[in-house]
Amino acid sequence: MIRVVDLHKSFGANQVLRGIDLEVDKGSTCVILGGSGSGKTVLMKHVIGLLKPDRGTVFVNDVEIPKLEGPELTEARRMFGMVFQKSALFDSMTVLDNVAFPLHEKDRSISGKELRRRVVEKLQVVDLAESVLPLYPPELSGGMQKRVALARALIHDPPIVLYDEPTTGLDPITTEYVDDMIVSAKQRLGVTSMVISHDIASSFKVADKLAVLYDGEIAAQGTPEEVRRSQHPHVKKFLSLWFEKQ
Amino acid sequence: MRRIRDAIEDFGEMLFFALDTLRWAVRPPFRPELVLVQMAAIGVGSVFIVTTTSFFTGVVLALQANYAMRQLGAEGYVGGSVAISLARELAPVLTALFVIGRSGSAISTELGTMRVTEQIDAMETMAVNPVQYLVVPRVVAALAMFPLLTMVFDALGYAGAYLMGIYVARIPEGPFLEHTRTLVEPKDIFHGIFKSLIFGAVVALITCWRGYSASGGSKGVGESTTRAVVASSIAILLVDVGFVLVTVGSGK
Repeated sequence: MIRVVDLHKSFGANQVLRGIDLEVDKGSTCVILGGSGSGKTVLMKHVIGLLKPDRGTVFVNDVEIPKLEGPELTEARRMFGMVFQKSALFDSMTVLDNVAFPLHEKDRSISGKELRRRVVEKLQVVDLAESVLPLYPPELSGGMQKRVALARALIHDPPIVLYDEPTTGLDPITTEYVDDMIVSAKQRLGVTSMVISHDIASSFKVADKLAVLYDGEIAAQGTPEEVRRSQHPHVKKFLSLWFEKQ
Repeated sequence: MRRIRDAIEDFGEMLFFALDTLRWAVRPPFRPELVLVQMAAIGVGSVFIVTTTSFFTGVVLALQANYAMRQLGAEGYVGGSVAISLARELAPVLTALFVIGRSGSAISTELGTMRVTEQIDAMETMAVNPVQYLVVPRVVAALAMFPLLTMVFDALGYAGAYLMGIYVARIPEGPFLEHTRTLVEPKDIFHGIFKSLIFGAVVALITCWRGYSASGGSKGVGESTTRAVVASSIAILLVDVGFVLVTVGSGK
């Protein structure tokens, strides 16, 4: 479904990605795990076409994303829903307008009643009640904002959902809730998920496939168990800090 | 040297931003509902400051003009001189400066906050062009509202001058009105309104650009708003000088 081939990207003298090869199967959840500055977000921005690679390419459903421009790229982006690190909800809009936004912009002929029905349906997927519809994002807790953000990402039924650091800055209970939400979205809707994270516990919980990014390269990839047994020195060090705590 | 190069680069980027705005302005989907919201924010929201300042500008202009002209025995010309100053110069320039303070700073802060909280990136990933959705309505609304606010400034400024001139300075009403009619021609009013149209585009583009390109959290948003207000105020004055040199210099 997503295939990253020999991806290279530099910003000035700073080489951020140094040849990434990665495949994410349809309906699975792939977590890109890595520390700060390892290039995780840059990799995700290539997948959704926000950045162009210096070398290499990205295929999504056999569509070569870096070759697309203008309306074609806009159309290709409808394959994705994205959940941002800090939710990135539009704070001048209510929950109803936030969640309805991608759908309304995709098809402006949909009636207000139908939009509301679809929004309520997606809020149920993320366990939110209809009563939140008139609220504005600042009136919601961090966890609720994350759920609204996921509902917004899912509203147009995209086959792929991207999560950018979904558990950063959340308390343990909310973190667990967000993890369950990612697993639930995959199971209930069958979406393919790509998660960018530095949260080892969450990554092992939600991932079907893990890729550890280090210094612009994939240091280890495979099932969580395969990555756990990796002999790569950085991966061992990165994971040991957490496993020792358990 | 580096600062000059950065400033030139920045100006170039803003020109590309302006071209991008133009490109997206003529491309569907059109969103009149967003333009109306911005017209209310820029226009209706600025009515109080424009009415207040225009009235008092007219009042002090009349008193100052009366002070000077009475010495020449020409106080009958106070109404005409105030009206022509307002129509050609003060109404468009002062309206622009007040709207920069009232609405330009708000535009820059709002877009800057949306940028640093990734709301603009989110919009882009939802297949919605942020320039078309956020910038175009603000530019169109500014183009519509700047001339209207300038006309309000003209009318209330003259009303202030009339009240001061007739009832406080005791200028005879006949010459006051007659010299206004002879001195001020429709082309003077259109001169000011046309200028306000240009000011509207300049202010909206600069404040939108500053907000749109903000970075670095809340501190960055604050800096971009300051830069937006300073840059657009200076730009208004520079454009005004250029416009007057071209039009008055050529006798228009």
